[in-house]
Amino acid sequence: MRKNRSVVLSTLLIALLLTACFSGTILSASKFPELDANGRFLKTRSITVEIYDRGNPGGSKPEDNFFTNWIKEGMLRDHNVKVTFVPVPRWTEVDVLNNLLAAGDAPDVCVTYSYPTILTYANMGGVLDLSPYLTDEYKELFPDLWDFLGERFLLWNQDPVNGTVWAIEARLAQNKRINTFVREDWLKKLNLPEPRSLEEFENMLRAFKKNANLLLGKDADKMIPYTTSYDIGWRNEHLFTSFVPESITDKEMYINGFDDRRLLWPGIKEGVRVLNKWYNEGLIWKDFPLYGPGDGTEDNNMKAGYVGAFMHNWDYPYRNGKDSIHYQLQQMAGPDAAFIAVEPFKNDAGIYRKYLAPGNDRKVFFPATNDEPLASMLYVNWITKLENRRFLQIGVEGTNHKVLADGSIQNIAATGDMIMNSLQNIDYTITINGLDLGDPVLTAKSVALGYDLVDKSFIEKAYQLTDNNARYTPYYNVGEIKAEEGMGPALDEKRDNFLVQAVVAKPQDFDKVFDAGMQDYLRSGGQAIIDERRAKYEAFYE
Amino acid sequence: MTAIADPLSKKKKIIRTRNYLKKYWTLYAMLLLPIVYFIIFKYIPMTYIQIAFKKYSIVKSPWEMPWAGNHGFEYFIKAFSNRDFLFALRNTIMLNFLDLLVGFPAPIILAILLNELPYKRFKRFTQTVAYMPHFLSWIIVSGLAVQLLAPTSGLINIVLNRLGFGSIPFLNDSAHWVWTYVLLGVWKSVGWNTIIYLAALTNIDPQLYEAAAIDGAGRLRSIWHITLPGLRPTIITLLILNLGRILGSEFDRPYALSNNLVNNVSNVIATFIYTNGIRGLQFSLTTAVGLFQSVVCVIFLFAANALAKKFGERGVW
Repeated sequence: MRKNRSVVLSTLLIALLLTACFSGTILSASKFPELDANGRFLKTRSITVEIYDRGNPGGSKPEDNFFTNWIKEGMLRDHNVKVTFVPVPRWTEVDVLNNLLAAGDAPDVCVTYSYPTILTYANMGGVLDLSPYLTDEYKELFPDLWDFLGERFLLWNQDPVNGTVWAIEARLAQNKRINTFVREDWLKKLNLPEPRSLEEFENMLRAFKKNANLLLGKDADKMIPYTTSYDIGWRNEHLFTSFVPESITDKEMYINGFDDRRLLWPGIKEGVRVLNKWYNEGLIWKDFPLYGPGDGTEDNNMKAGYVGAFMHNWDYPYRNGKDSIHYQLQQMAGPDAAFIAVEPFKNDAGIYRKYLAPGNDRKVFFPATNDEPLASMLYVNWITKLENRRFLQIGVEGTNHKVLADGSIQNIAATGDMIMNSLQNIDYTITINGLDLGDPVLTAKSVALGYDLVDKSFIEKAYQLTDNNARYTPYYNVGEIKAEEGMGPALDEKRDNFLVQAVVAKPQDFDKVFDAGMQDYLRSGGQAIIDERRAKYEAFYE
Repeated sequence: MTAIADPLSKKKKIIRTRNYLKKYWTLYAMLLLPIVYFIIFKYIPMTYIQIAFKKYSIVKSPWEMPWAGNHGFEYFIKAFSNRDFLFALRNTIMLNFLDLLVGFPAPIILAILLNELPYKRFKRFTQTVAYMPHFLSWIIVSGLAVQLLAPTSGLINIVLNRLGFGSIPFLNDSAHWVWTYVLLGVWKSVGWNTIIYLAALTNIDPQLYEAAAIDGAGRLRSIWHITLPGLRPTIITLLILNLGRILGSEFDRPYALSNNLVNNVSNVIATFIYTNGIRGLQFSLTTAVGLFQSVVCVIFLFAANALAKKFGERGVW
């Protein structure tokens, strides 16, 4: 008996020791008195974490499903921290977050794409400074953060003068932006090559229009050769930036870089003029200005097979499994119907240039109401740990993915509780957007397989073209640009308004409408931002 | 009369007050709840009006926030030198004025028409159908509007095109949009607003109509000489209240119906506040705008009331 007991005890002890070794961190008790040697809190802590609610049809509750339970269990096991998720609608996240922050109800760990929002609240004293937790002293607590995000992304927003860090930047695993898509089957039917120049692209659109009867039969009157949305800048960027001179300098890009739709870059106006021409030729969906963000009408036109070409996020038609444009289109218009990525727009140097962001993504910040900053930081570290984010991204073998012979991972569209509400669960992996399996080759192979029900070749082409001849916009850390404070939404609205108006204007009115809109944009704060960016750039970098 | 000379009547007064309270205290107790409601939800929040004169901070109480520049009027000056605000102000007044011009007489006319209907069942049916849109939110109405009025896919324009006419840009041209906005407002509210007039009409003595008929007055004559004068106090009261809202603006109606092509007429004060205040986080600026709006509304309300009294009407108070 006694012997048995000692055997059990010693096994337990060894097991305990082993788990301690595997969890990796043996901490000195004196440095972090509220943690034990394994980085667990001595007393259970509770934190709340923001989670995007995409409201997908057939999706699971974003705050309560298999994956959130997995995170909750893991955080409780590894750090003795209870996690509660707070859903925030994806498409109105900034507005909802504003309300939560203003009411003092914001989650302890917040995520947003809008740094200006964070900065505005930080200036009011509403955001926690993360710099004390990003010192050498705390490094041993957050090894995965330092390993994966490193100084570049952790200290991205560090004020060059006083050292504050209001938010850490997530990484964009696949730094992709947009693609130009056309109907492959229509090209074949009309014996057209894939367009390789603006002229060919235009002729293709005209051919779509002319041959509506052949392509759409009784629905010929529904023909939309080219579709766009109110978000003109994003949805036509490849066209617009092909008019940006190759000679644009990093400094110019930065100074005129407040608008992420490149509105202030040289040459954009000529791109908008082309769109105006198309509109007046009847090549563009006439009703586009009436539909706002999140409206499904345009997608439905694509799914129904009425649309010939468009620009959108690099993998847009292939996303969302059975709800994808690709799948739905094939249901409606036959198995040959498909959108394919093309590369028609070259710049003045004859290069098919794509301008990409510097590779940062969402921003993670803690509001001042967060009274568990250490537990929250441990959460951010935990979710950044390769094995954790890897599991969240690929899920359970057999249900969410299968492993192919070469080791690459293929997604399976799960249903019910196991469904992923966002591709690769990016809404949970808040420090990385996009797949990262820890091995770049395996990752690239798996990304192409990551689209259930879509042939690999479509994805590979889109993947390759979207950053072909890429140039990355530079990032300069000059601290806060005061003129930008609070201006984002008003200026974005102005941009969308006057670009839409310029596109639908009569050709002879185009200059008048565009110039008046641009003047108004600059006068309402745009010019002040440019001036301050120039002054700060010159002060810190010249 | 001195206080000493009149001890008895004073005592009497106290007794009378006590009896009065004894008898009616329950009524006063019932009043307590609404008063508490107003204090908590209307008067205490008013302390935040100071934000208009102070530099807003999310973490400080409004009493601790530092004063804004220019003797606290920084944000008012900023608002009035902001062209977007001035356009929003113009549009608010224009849309509200058109609403008043078209939307105010509409329920009066409908109420009189309904009142003249001899078949009671048909009258009730029409009334119910006319109420219905009131219960739809503007989001739903705007969805319907796009489905019906879009230039190529809207039902009405499809019908027009089939009949050989061109599309009417109901929603995508500024001038057309204004009328679409006003008329959708009439459609949505006209039935509901007739209720109060129909109630007023039941108060008119039927003997008046009988006497008029005997005297040979036709239908139009009796409407002009009996129905309309009977409605006059109600009309005046509602007109005063409506004038008090001339600078006030709904948010959901212009926001839901607006699009990128018509922002030059659809941006009103409420949407300005939404974009710059709630989304742009400039709370002081937009509180200043909101305060200005309220003050002008109160001035209009008082002026309209005084004017009504001057013309021998009862007014609102």
